[in-house]
Amino acid sequence: MNCELAHESIVAAAYGELPDEQVHELERHIAGCAGCAEERQQLEALKVLANALPVLEPGANLLARSRMRLDEALDALPPLGWYERLSQRMLNNIASLQAAPLAACLLLVAGAGAGGLGGYEIAQGRAAHVVTTQAIAAPQTAAAAPAAAQAGITQAGMSNVASVSSIVRKPNSEIVDVSYNQIVPQHVEGSLDDPAIRQLLMMASEKSSSVGLRDDSVGLLADECKAGHSCRPEGIRDALMTALRSDRNAGVRKKALDGLQPYVAEDVRVRDAILQALLNDDDPHVRTEAINILMPVEGDTSVRQVLHSVANTDQNPYIRTVSTQILSKEPEIQ
Amino acid sequence: MQARAPEMELIREAQAGSRAAFDTLVRQYEHQVLRLALHLTGSEHDAEDIYQEAFLKAFRYIGNFRFECSFYTWIYRIVTNLCLDQLRRRKTRREDHAVIMDHSGDEIDLLASVSDDRAYANPARELDRKVLAGKIQAALEKLTPRERMVFELKHYQGLRLRTIGEMLSTTEETAKNTLFRATKKLRAQLAELR
Repeated sequence: MNCELAHESIVAAAYGELPDEQVHELERHIAGCAGCAEERQQLEALKVLANALPVLEPGANLLARSRMRLDEALDALPPLGWYERLSQRMLNNIASLQAAPLAACLLLVAGAGAGGLGGYEIAQGRAAHVVTTQAIAAPQTAAAAPAAAQAGITQAGMSNVASVSSIVRKPNSEIVDVSYNQIVPQHVEGSLDDPAIRQLLMMASEKSSSVGLRDDSVGLLADECKAGHSCRPEGIRDALMTALRSDRNAGVRKKALDGLQPYVAEDVRVRDAILQALLNDDDPHVRTEAINILMPVEGDTSVRQVLHSVANTDQNPYIRTVSTQILSKEPEIQ
Repeated sequence: MQARAPEMELIREAQAGSRAAFDTLVRQYEHQVLRLALHLTGSEHDAEDIYQEAFLKAFRYIGNFRFECSFYTWIYRIVTNLCLDQLRRRKTRREDHAVIMDHSGDEIDLLASVSDDRAYANPARELDRKVLAGKIQAALEKLTPRERMVFELKHYQGLRLRTIGEMLSTTEETAKNTLFRATKKLRAQLAELR
Protein backbone atom coordinates (compact mmCIF):
# COMPACT_ATOMS: atom_id res chain seq x y z
CA MET A 1 0.00 0.00 0.00
CA ASN A 2 1.41 3.41 -0.94
CA CYS A 3 0.88 6.60 1.06
CA GLU A 4 -1.66 8.09 -1.35
CA LEU A 5 -3.90 5.05 -1.07
CA ALA A 6 -3.28 4.94 2.69
CA HIS A 7 -4.56 8.51 3.08
CA GLU A 8 -7.83 7.59 1.38
CA SER A 9 -8.08 4.44 3.48
CA ILE A 10 -7.48 6.43 6.67
CA VAL A 11 -10.59 8.51 5.97
CA ALA A 12 -12.65 5.43 5.15
CA ALA A 13 -11.39 3.67 8.29
CA ALA A 14 -12.11 6.69 10.49
CA TYR A 15 -15.74 6.50 9.40
CA GLY A 16 -15.99 2.70 9.68
CA GLU A 17 -16.13 2.17 5.93
CA LEU A 18 -12.94 0.19 5.35
CA PRO A 19 -13.30 -3.58 4.88
CA ASP A 20 -11.65 -5.62 7.64
CA GLU A 21 -9.02 -7.13 5.40
CA GLN A 22 -7.87 -3.66 4.34
CA VAL A 23 -7.83 -2.40 7.93
CA HIS A 24 -5.01 -4.82 8.78
CA GLU A 25 -3.07 -3.77 5.71
CA LEU A 26 -3.51 -0.11 6.64
CA GLU A 27 -2.40 -0.72 10.23
CA ARG A 28 0.75 -2.44 8.97
CA HIS A 29 1.48 0.51 6.68
CA ILE A 30 0.90 3.12 9.40
CA ALA A 31 3.10 1.22 11.85
CA GLY A 32 6.03 1.83 9.51
CA CYS A 33 5.13 5.27 8.12
CA ALA A 34 5.35 8.35 10.34
CA GLY A 35 3.70 10.56 7.68
CA CYS A 36 0.57 8.43 7.52
CA ALA A 37 0.43 8.12 11.32
CA GLU A 38 0.46 11.95 11.43
CA GLU A 39 -2.25 12.01 8.75
CA ARG A 40 -4.46 9.80 10.87
CA GLN A 41 -3.94 11.95 13.95
CA GLN A 42 -4.90 15.04 11.97
CA LEU A 43 -8.06 13.40 10.70
CA GLU A 44 -9.06 12.36 14.21
CA ALA A 45 -8.46 15.97 15.31
CA LEU A 46 -10.71 17.20 12.49
CA LYS A 47 -13.48 14.84 13.58
CA VAL A 48 -13.28 16.19 17.12
CA LEU A 49 -13.26 19.77 15.84
CA ALA A 50 -16.22 19.22 13.53
CA ASN A 51 -18.21 17.92 16.49
CA ALA A 52 -17.95 21.36 18.04
CA LEU A 53 -20.66 22.40 15.59
CA PRO A 54 -23.68 20.71 17.14
CA VAL A 55 -26.51 19.05 15.25
CA LEU A 56 -29.56 20.71 16.74
CA GLU A 57 -32.79 18.84 17.09
CA PRO A 58 -35.62 20.85 15.50
CA GLY A 59 -37.67 22.54 18.17
CA ALA A 60 -41.34 21.81 18.78
CA ASN A 61 -42.33 25.24 17.45
CA LEU A 62 -40.47 24.74 14.20
CA LEU A 63 -42.01 21.31 13.79
CA ALA A 64 -45.52 22.55 14.50
CA ARG A 65 -45.11 25.52 12.19
CA SER A 66 -43.78 23.32 9.37
CA ARG A 67 -46.63 20.84 9.78
CA MET A 68 -49.19 23.61 9.70
CA ARG A 69 -47.75 25.14 6.53
CA LEU A 70 -47.59 21.75 4.85
CA ASP A 71 -51.17 20.92 5.80
CA GLU A 72 -52.35 24.21 4.36
CA ALA A 73 -50.40 23.66 1.16
CA LEU A 74 -51.72 20.11 0.78
CA ASP A 75 -55.28 21.28 1.41
CA ALA A 76 -54.86 23.90 -1.28
CA LEU A 77 -53.70 21.36 -3.87
CA PRO A 78 -56.40 20.57 -6.42
CA PRO A 79 -57.27 16.87 -6.57
CA LEU A 80 -55.50 14.96 -9.33
CA GLY A 81 -57.40 15.05 -12.59
CA TRP A 82 -58.14 11.84 -14.48
CA TYR A 83 -55.51 12.69 -17.08
CA GLU A 84 -52.85 13.10 -14.37
CA ARG A 85 -53.77 9.76 -12.82
CA LEU A 86 -53.73 8.20 -16.26
CA SER A 87 -50.35 9.67 -17.16
CA GLN A 88 -48.91 8.53 -13.82
CA ARG A 89 -50.20 5.04 -14.41
CA MET A 90 -48.82 5.06 -17.95
CA LEU A 91 -45.42 6.21 -16.69
CA ASN A 92 -45.39 3.33 -14.22
CA ASN A 93 -46.36 0.92 -16.96
CA ILE A 94 -43.59 2.25 -19.19
CA ALA A 95 -41.15 1.77 -16.33
CA SER A 96 -42.30 -1.80 -15.85
CA LEU A 97 -41.87 -2.35 -19.60
CA GLN A 98 -38.16 -1.71 -19.12
CA ALA A 99 -38.02 -5.21 -17.70
CA ALA A 100 -39.68 -6.64 -20.81
CA PRO A 101 -36.46 -7.63 -22.65
CA LEU A 102 -35.35 -9.66 -19.63
CA ALA A 103 -38.77 -11.27 -19.34
CA ALA A 104 -38.68 -12.11 -23.05
CA CYS A 105 -35.24 -13.72 -22.68
CA LEU A 106 -36.45 -15.76 -19.71
CA LEU A 107 -39.48 -16.91 -21.67
CA LEU A 108 -37.23 -17.90 -24.56
CA VAL A 109 -34.93 -19.88 -22.26
CA ALA A 110 -37.91 -21.50 -20.51
CA GLY A 111 -39.42 -22.40 -23.89
CA ALA A 112 -36.15 -23.87 -25.13
CA GLY A 113 -35.82 -25.80 -21.88
CA ALA A 114 -39.35 -27.17 -22.07
CA GLY A 115 -38.84 -28.12 -25.71
CA GLY A 116 -35.56 -29.84 -24.89
CA LEU A 117 -37.17 -31.66 -21.97
CA GLY A 118 -40.04 -32.86 -24.14
CA GLY A 119 -37.65 -34.13 -26.80
CA TYR A 120 -35.46 -35.80 -24.22
CA GLU A 121 -38.40 -37.55 -22.57
CA ILE A 122 -39.64 -38.86 -25.91
CA ALA A 123 -36.14 -40.14 -26.65
CA GLN A 124 -35.95 -41.69 -23.16
CA GLY A 125 -39.30 -43.37 -23.71
CA ARG A 126 -38.11 -44.87 -26.97
CA ALA A 127 -34.82 -45.97 -25.40
CA ALA A 128 -36.68 -47.57 -22.47
CA HIS A 129 -38.87 -49.41 -24.94
CA VAL A 130 -35.79 -50.72 -26.72
CA VAL A 131 -34.14 -51.70 -23.37
CA THR A 132 -37.31 -53.50 -22.25
CA THR A 133 -37.40 -55.50 -25.41
CA GLN A 134 -33.69 -56.31 -25.11
CA ALA A 135 -33.80 -57.00 -21.32
CA ILE A 136 -34.93 -60.57 -21.77
CA ALA A 137 -31.87 -61.22 -23.87
CA ALA A 138 -29.38 -59.25 -21.72
CA PRO A 139 -30.53 -58.68 -18.09
CA GLN A 140 -27.05 -57.62 -16.85
CA THR A 141 -27.03 -54.51 -19.06
CA ALA A 142 -30.29 -53.26 -17.55
CA ALA A 143 -28.98 -53.80 -13.98
CA ALA A 144 -26.00 -51.51 -14.67
CA ALA A 145 -28.21 -48.51 -15.62
CA PRO A 146 -29.36 -47.38 -12.09
CA ALA A 147 -25.74 -47.32 -10.90
CA ALA A 148 -24.93 -44.77 -13.61
CA ALA A 149 -27.93 -42.68 -12.58
CA GLN A 150 -26.47 -42.41 -9.06
CA ALA A 151 -23.47 -40.43 -10.28
CA GLY A 152 -22.94 -37.29 -8.12
CA ILE A 153 -23.14 -33.73 -9.44
CA THR A 154 -19.86 -31.96 -10.17
CA GLN A 155 -19.11 -28.29 -9.65
CA ALA A 156 -18.89 -27.93 -13.42
CA GLY A 157 -22.36 -29.41 -13.80
CA MET A 158 -23.82 -26.78 -11.47
CA SER A 159 -24.25 -24.33 -14.31
CA ASN A 160 -26.88 -26.62 -15.84
CA VAL A 161 -29.02 -26.76 -12.70
CA ALA A 162 -32.28 -24.92 -13.26
CA SER A 163 -33.82 -25.21 -9.79
CA VAL A 164 -33.89 -27.22 -6.56
CA SER A 165 -37.10 -29.09 -5.83
CA SER A 166 -36.57 -30.65 -2.40
CA ILE A 167 -34.07 -30.88 0.47
CA VAL A 168 -34.15 -33.64 3.10
CA ARG A 169 -31.60 -33.91 5.87
CA LYS A 170 -30.79 -37.37 7.23
CA PRO A 171 -31.51 -37.38 10.98
CA ASN A 172 -28.48 -36.68 13.20
CA SER A 173 -26.04 -36.46 10.34
CA GLU A 174 -24.35 -34.04 8.00
CA ILE A 175 -25.85 -35.81 4.99
CA VAL A 176 -28.56 -34.14 2.93
CA ASP A 177 -30.54 -35.40 0.02
CA VAL A 178 -31.15 -32.71 -2.60
CA SER A 179 -33.46 -33.10 -5.59
CA TYR A 180 -32.84 -30.67 -8.41
CA ASN A 181 -33.85 -30.09 -11.98
CA GLN A 182 -31.52 -30.00 -14.94
CA ILE A 183 -33.15 -31.00 -18.18
CA VAL A 184 -34.73 -33.85 -16.23
CA PRO A 185 -35.16 -34.01 -12.44
CA GLN A 186 -32.11 -35.38 -10.57
CA HIS A 187 -31.14 -35.93 -7.00
CA VAL A 188 -27.89 -36.09 -5.13
CA GLU A 189 -26.93 -37.04 -1.61
CA GLY A 190 -23.87 -35.74 0.19
CA SER A 191 -22.32 -33.99 3.16
CA LEU A 192 -23.14 -30.40 4.02
CA ASP A 193 -19.41 -29.70 3.69
CA ASP A 194 -19.47 -30.76 0.04
CA PRO A 195 -19.09 -27.61 -2.13
CA ALA A 196 -21.59 -28.89 -4.71
CA ILE A 197 -24.23 -29.53 -2.03
CA ARG A 198 -23.61 -26.08 -0.59
CA GLN A 199 -23.94 -24.57 -4.05
CA LEU A 200 -27.34 -26.24 -4.46
CA LEU A 201 -28.46 -25.01 -1.03
CA MET A 202 -27.36 -21.46 -1.86
CA MET A 203 -29.23 -21.64 -5.15
CA ALA A 204 -32.36 -22.84 -3.33
CA SER A 205 -32.03 -20.09 -0.72
CA GLU A 206 -31.91 -17.44 -3.41
CA LYS A 207 -34.05 -18.66 -6.28
CA SER A 208 -36.64 -21.08 -5.00
CA SER A 209 -40.22 -19.88 -5.10
CA SER A 210 -41.17 -22.25 -2.26
CA VAL A 211 -40.96 -20.72 1.21
CA GLY A 212 -40.40 -24.16 2.77
CA LEU A 213 -37.45 -24.82 0.50
CA ARG A 214 -35.88 -21.44 1.19
CA ASP A 215 -36.46 -21.94 4.90
CA ASP A 216 -34.78 -25.38 4.84
CA SER A 217 -31.81 -24.25 2.79
CA VAL A 218 -31.17 -21.05 4.76
CA GLY A 219 -31.60 -23.00 8.02
CA LEU A 220 -29.01 -25.58 6.96
CA LEU A 221 -26.56 -22.91 5.77
CA ALA A 222 -27.03 -20.95 9.00
CA ASP A 223 -26.36 -24.11 11.04
CA GLU A 224 -23.10 -24.55 9.15
CA CYS A 225 -22.03 -21.01 10.05
CA LYS A 226 -23.07 -21.40 13.67
CA ALA A 227 -21.22 -24.70 13.91
CA GLY A 228 -18.07 -22.91 12.73
CA HIS A 229 -17.74 -24.95 9.56
CA SER A 230 -16.24 -23.19 6.57
CA CYS A 231 -18.51 -20.14 6.18
CA ARG A 232 -16.49 -17.91 3.91
CA PRO A 233 -17.53 -14.30 3.18
CA GLU A 234 -17.94 -14.84 -0.55
CA GLY A 235 -19.92 -18.06 -0.18
CA ILE A 236 -22.45 -18.96 2.46
CA ARG A 237 -22.16 -15.63 4.26
CA ASP A 238 -23.15 -13.78 1.10
CA ALA A 239 -26.10 -16.10 0.59
CA LEU A 240 -27.27 -15.49 4.17
CA MET A 241 -26.91 -11.72 3.75
CA THR A 242 -28.91 -11.88 0.52
CA ALA A 243 -31.63 -13.88 2.28
CA LEU A 244 -31.67 -11.39 5.17
CA ARG A 245 -32.02 -8.45 2.83
CA SER A 246 -34.43 -9.76 0.28
CA ASP A 247 -36.33 -12.86 1.35
CA ARG A 248 -40.06 -12.18 1.57
CA ASN A 249 -40.55 -14.55 4.51
CA ALA A 250 -39.73 -13.30 8.01
CA GLY A 251 -38.91 -16.80 9.30
CA VAL A 252 -36.28 -17.23 6.58
CA ARG A 253 -34.80 -13.80 7.33
CA LYS A 254 -34.61 -14.65 11.02
CA LYS A 255 -32.75 -17.87 10.29
CA ALA A 256 -30.32 -15.97 8.07
CA LEU A 257 -29.79 -13.50 10.90
CA ASP A 258 -28.97 -16.32 13.33
CA GLY A 259 -26.44 -17.72 10.92
CA LEU A 260 -24.69 -14.35 10.59
CA GLN A 261 -24.42 -13.81 14.34
CA PRO A 262 -20.89 -15.25 14.75
CA TYR A 263 -19.51 -12.74 12.21
CA VAL A 264 -21.03 -9.50 13.44
CA ALA A 265 -17.84 -8.41 15.20
CA GLU A 266 -15.34 -9.36 12.53
CA ASP A 267 -17.13 -8.66 9.24
CA VAL A 268 -18.28 -5.09 8.65
CA ARG A 269 -20.46 -6.18 5.71
CA VAL A 270 -22.37 -8.53 8.00
CA ARG A 271 -22.78 -5.68 10.49
CA ASP A 272 -24.11 -3.45 7.71
CA ALA A 273 -26.62 -6.07 6.62
CA ILE A 274 -27.86 -6.48 10.19
CA LEU A 275 -28.08 -2.69 10.69
CA GLN A 276 -30.08 -2.48 7.48
CA ALA A 277 -32.42 -5.17 8.80
CA LEU A 278 -32.80 -3.28 12.07
CA LEU A 279 -33.74 -0.14 10.20
CA ASN A 280 -35.87 -1.51 7.40
CA ASP A 281 -37.18 -4.98 8.17
CA ASP A 282 -40.97 -5.28 8.29
CA ASP A 283 -40.99 -7.83 11.04
CA PRO A 284 -40.52 -6.74 14.69
CA HIS A 285 -39.13 -10.18 15.65
CA VAL A 286 -36.38 -9.82 13.07
CA ARG A 287 -35.61 -6.29 14.26
CA THR A 288 -35.57 -7.43 17.92
CA GLU A 289 -33.24 -10.28 17.02
CA ALA A 290 -31.03 -7.82 15.13
CA ILE A 291 -30.71 -5.65 18.24
CA ASN A 292 -29.73 -8.67 20.35
CA ILE A 293 -27.09 -9.66 17.82
CA LEU A 294 -25.69 -6.13 17.65
CA MET A 295 -25.33 -5.83 21.45
CA PRO A 296 -21.71 -7.02 21.51
CA VAL A 297 -20.73 -4.27 19.04
CA GLU A 298 -22.87 -1.51 20.53
CA GLY A 299 -19.80 0.75 20.86
CA ASP A 300 -19.46 0.97 17.06
CA THR A 301 -20.43 4.44 15.83
CA SER A 302 -22.67 3.18 13.03
CA VAL A 303 -24.45 0.79 15.37
CA ARG A 304 -25.08 3.56 17.86
CA GLN A 305 -26.37 5.87 15.16
CA VAL A 306 -28.82 3.26 13.95
CA LEU A 307 -29.85 2.49 17.52
CA HIS A 308 -30.47 6.20 18.03
CA SER A 309 -32.65 6.30 14.97
CA VAL A 310 -34.54 3.16 16.01
CA ALA A 311 -34.95 4.44 19.58
CA ASN A 312 -36.61 7.55 18.18
CA THR A 313 -38.60 6.29 15.24
CA ASP A 314 -39.43 2.59 15.56
CA GLN A 315 -43.13 2.14 16.07
CA ASN A 316 -42.69 -0.90 18.24
CA PRO A 317 -42.44 0.29 21.88
CA TYR A 318 -40.41 -2.74 22.98
CA ILE A 319 -37.80 -2.14 20.29
CA ARG A 320 -37.62 1.56 21.18
CA THR A 321 -37.15 0.69 24.86
CA VAL A 322 -34.45 -1.91 24.24
CA SER A 323 -32.55 0.46 21.92
CA THR A 324 -32.73 3.24 24.48
CA GLN A 325 -31.52 0.92 27.22
CA ILE A 326 -28.52 -0.17 25.19
CA LEU A 327 -27.67 3.43 24.32
CA SER A 328 -27.95 4.52 27.93
CA LYS A 329 -25.20 2.12 28.94
CA GLU A 330 -22.45 4.32 27.48
CA PRO A 331 -23.90 7.82 27.11
CA GLU A 332 -20.49 9.43 26.74
CA ILE A 333 -19.90 7.81 23.34
CA GLN A 334 -22.97 9.56 21.95
CA MET B 1 -46.17 -4.80 14.14
CA GLN B 2 -46.99 -1.26 13.07
CA ALA B 3 -43.54 -0.74 11.64
CA ARG B 4 -42.34 -1.44 8.09
CA ALA B 5 -44.92 -3.79 6.60
CA PRO B 6 -47.58 -1.19 7.32
CA GLU B 7 -45.25 1.36 5.76
CA MET B 8 -45.61 -0.41 2.43
CA GLU B 9 -49.33 -0.46 2.98
CA LEU B 10 -49.25 3.23 3.82
CA ILE B 11 -47.31 3.99 0.64
CA ARG B 12 -49.80 2.01 -1.43
CA GLU B 13 -52.71 3.80 0.21
CA ALA B 14 -51.01 7.16 -0.34
CA GLN B 15 -50.44 6.18 -3.97
CA ALA B 16 -54.16 5.47 -4.21
CA GLY B 17 -54.80 9.00 -2.99
CA SER B 18 -55.20 8.63 0.80
CA ARG B 19 -54.19 11.84 2.50
CA ALA B 20 -54.31 10.22 5.97
CA ALA B 21 -51.78 7.59 4.88
CA PHE B 22 -49.52 10.28 3.47
CA ASP B 23 -49.76 12.28 6.71
CA THR B 24 -48.64 9.22 8.67
CA LEU B 25 -45.65 8.86 6.37
CA VAL B 26 -44.81 12.53 6.89
CA ARG B 27 -44.88 12.05 10.67
CA GLN B 28 -42.41 9.19 10.36
CA TYR B 29 -39.76 11.19 8.52
CA GLU B 30 -40.36 14.85 9.27
CA HIS B 31 -38.02 14.97 12.24
CA GLN B 32 -35.01 13.66 10.31
CA VAL B 33 -35.86 15.88 7.33
CA LEU B 34 -35.98 19.02 9.45
CA ARG B 35 -32.83 18.15 11.37
CA LEU B 36 -30.84 17.62 8.16
CA ALA B 37 -32.17 20.76 6.50
CA LEU B 38 -31.62 22.85 9.61
CA HIS B 39 -28.03 21.77 10.05
CA LEU B 40 -27.20 22.14 6.37
CA THR B 41 -28.77 25.50 5.77
CA GLY B 42 -28.30 26.98 9.23
CA SER B 43 -31.63 28.71 8.85
CA GLU B 44 -34.97 27.74 10.35
CA HIS B 45 -36.69 29.58 7.55
CA ASP B 46 -34.84 27.65 4.83
CA ALA B 47 -35.33 24.38 6.70
CA GLU B 48 -39.06 25.04 6.85
CA ASP B 49 -39.13 25.77 3.10
CA ILE B 50 -37.21 22.61 2.31
CA TYR B 51 -39.52 20.55 4.55
CA GLN B 52 -42.54 21.98 2.77
CA GLU B 53 -41.20 21.57 -0.73
CA ALA B 54 -39.88 18.05 -0.07
CA PHE B 55 -43.16 16.68 1.23
CA LEU B 56 -45.19 18.46 -1.43
CA LYS B 57 -42.99 16.85 -4.08
CA ALA B 58 -43.30 13.50 -2.35
CA PHE B 59 -47.09 13.87 -2.34
CA ARG B 60 -47.15 14.83 -5.99
CA TYR B 61 -44.84 12.04 -7.17
CA ILE B 62 -45.57 9.24 -4.72
CA GLY B 63 -47.38 7.49 -7.55
CA ASN B 64 -43.98 7.07 -9.22
CA PHE B 65 -42.43 5.34 -6.20
CA ARG B 66 -41.90 1.73 -7.27
CA PHE B 67 -40.36 0.18 -4.13
CA GLU B 68 -36.98 -0.19 -5.83
CA CYS B 69 -35.34 1.47 -2.84
CA SER B 70 -36.56 2.16 0.68
CA PHE B 71 -38.99 5.02 1.14
CA TYR B 72 -36.44 6.52 3.52
CA THR B 73 -33.84 6.68 0.70
CA TRP B 74 -36.42 8.08 -1.70
CA ILE B 75 -37.54 10.90 0.59
CA TYR B 76 -33.94 11.68 1.55
CA ARG B 77 -33.07 11.88 -2.15
CA ILE B 78 -35.70 14.56 -2.58
CA VAL B 79 -34.50 16.44 0.49
CA THR B 80 -30.80 16.26 -0.42
CA ASN B 81 -31.55 17.56 -3.91
CA LEU B 82 -33.46 20.50 -2.48
CA CYS B 83 -30.67 21.19 0.02
CA LEU B 84 -28.09 20.99 -2.77
CA ASP B 85 -30.07 23.55 -4.77
CA GLN B 86 -30.20 25.76 -1.71
CA LEU B 87 -26.47 25.43 -1.08
CA ARG B 88 -25.72 26.21 -4.73
CA ARG B 89 -27.90 29.31 -4.64
CA ARG B 90 -26.16 30.41 -1.48
CA LYS B 91 -22.75 29.73 -3.01
CA THR B 92 -23.69 32.01 -5.88
CA ARG B 93 -24.88 34.75 -3.54
CA ARG B 94 -21.84 34.15 -1.30
CA GLU B 95 -23.83 34.85 1.79
CA ASP B 96 -22.20 34.60 5.15
CA HIS B 97 -24.22 32.17 7.18
CA ALA B 98 -22.05 31.73 10.22
CA VAL B 99 -25.11 32.54 12.27
CA ILE B 100 -28.46 30.81 12.22
CA MET B 101 -31.64 32.64 11.26
CA ASP B 102 -35.03 32.01 12.79
CA HIS B 103 -38.30 32.00 10.83
CA SER B 104 -38.75 35.76 11.14
CA GLY B 105 -35.27 36.36 9.74
CA ASP B 106 -33.69 37.36 13.06
CA GLU B 107 -30.30 35.97 13.96
CA ILE B 108 -30.31 33.43 16.74
CA ASP B 109 -27.37 32.05 18.62
CA LEU B 110 -26.76 28.49 17.52
CA LEU B 111 -24.76 27.49 20.55
CA ALA B 112 -26.80 29.37 23.10
CA SER B 113 -29.67 27.05 22.33
CA VAL B 114 -27.59 24.02 23.30
CA SER B 115 -28.02 23.41 27.00
CA ASP B 116 -24.77 23.35 28.91
CA ASP B 117 -25.22 22.13 32.43
CA ARG B 118 -21.56 21.59 33.09
CA ALA B 119 -20.34 23.11 36.29
CA TYR B 120 -17.37 24.71 34.58
CA ALA B 121 -19.45 26.46 31.93
CA ASN B 122 -18.55 30.11 31.89
CA PRO B 123 -18.90 33.09 29.55
CA ALA B 124 -15.32 32.90 28.29
CA ARG B 125 -15.71 29.27 27.38
CA GLU B 126 -19.07 30.00 25.76
CA LEU B 127 -17.42 32.65 23.63
CA ASP B 128 -14.65 30.25 22.62
CA ARG B 129 -17.23 27.68 21.60
CA LYS B 130 -19.13 30.21 19.53
CA VAL B 131 -15.97 31.36 17.77
CA LEU B 132 -14.96 27.77 17.12
CA ALA B 133 -18.38 26.82 15.78
CA GLY B 134 -18.35 29.91 13.58
CA LYS B 135 -15.01 28.91 12.10
CA ILE B 136 -16.18 25.38 11.43
CA GLN B 137 -19.33 26.71 9.81
CA ALA B 138 -17.23 29.01 7.64
CA ALA B 139 -14.94 26.13 6.64
CA LEU B 140 -17.97 24.02 5.71
CA GLU B 141 -19.33 26.87 3.59
CA LYS B 142 -16.13 26.76 1.52
CA LEU B 143 -16.74 23.18 0.41
CA THR B 144 -18.58 22.57 -2.84
CA PRO B 145 -22.28 21.83 -2.25
CA ARG B 146 -21.74 18.17 -3.05
CA GLU B 147 -18.74 17.84 -0.73
CA ARG B 148 -20.70 19.61 1.97
CA MET B 149 -23.62 17.25 1.49
CA VAL B 150 -21.50 14.08 1.63
CA PHE B 151 -19.65 15.32 4.74
CA GLU B 152 -22.96 16.27 6.36
CA LEU B 153 -24.59 12.92 5.63
CA LYS B 154 -21.54 10.96 6.75
CA HIS B 155 -20.17 12.91 9.68
CA TYR B 156 -23.26 14.52 11.16
CA GLN B 157 -26.06 12.21 10.07
CA GLY B 158 -23.99 9.00 10.27
CA LEU B 159 -25.25 7.40 7.04
CA ARG B 160 -23.32 4.68 5.21
CA LEU B 161 -21.46 5.71 2.05
CA ARG B 162 -23.49 3.22 0.05
CA THR B 163 -26.72 4.87 1.18
CA ILE B 164 -25.27 8.31 0.51
CA GLY B 165 -24.36 7.16 -3.00
CA GLU B 166 -27.92 5.98 -3.57
CA MET B 167 -29.35 9.24 -2.30
CA LEU B 168 -27.10 11.34 -4.48
CA SER B 169 -27.61 9.02 -7.48
CA THR B 170 -23.95 8.12 -7.63
CA THR B 171 -21.71 5.23 -6.61
CA GLU B 172 -20.34 4.38 -3.18
CA GLU B 173 -16.83 4.88 -4.56
CA THR B 174 -17.62 8.40 -5.76
CA ALA B 175 -19.15 9.24 -2.39
CA LYS B 176 -15.98 7.94 -0.72
CA ASN B 177 -13.76 10.11 -2.94
CA THR B 178 -15.94 13.13 -2.26
CA LEU B 179 -15.68 12.53 1.48
CA PHE B 180 -11.90 12.30 1.15
CA ARG B 181 -11.74 15.62 -0.71
CA ALA B 182 -14.04 17.27 1.83
CA THR B 183 -11.93 16.17 4.82
CA LYS B 184 -8.77 17.31 3.06
CA LYS B 185 -10.20 20.76 2.40
CA LEU B 186 -11.60 21.07 5.91
CA ARG B 187 -8.25 20.15 7.41
CA ALA B 188 -6.57 22.83 5.35
CA GLN B 189 -9.21 25.38 6.36
CA LEU B 190 -9.07 24.51 10.04
CA ALA B 191 -5.30 23.98 10.30
CA GLU B 192 -4.87 27.08 12.44
CA LEU B 193 -7.23 25.70 15.09
CA ARG B 194 -5.28 22.54 15.81
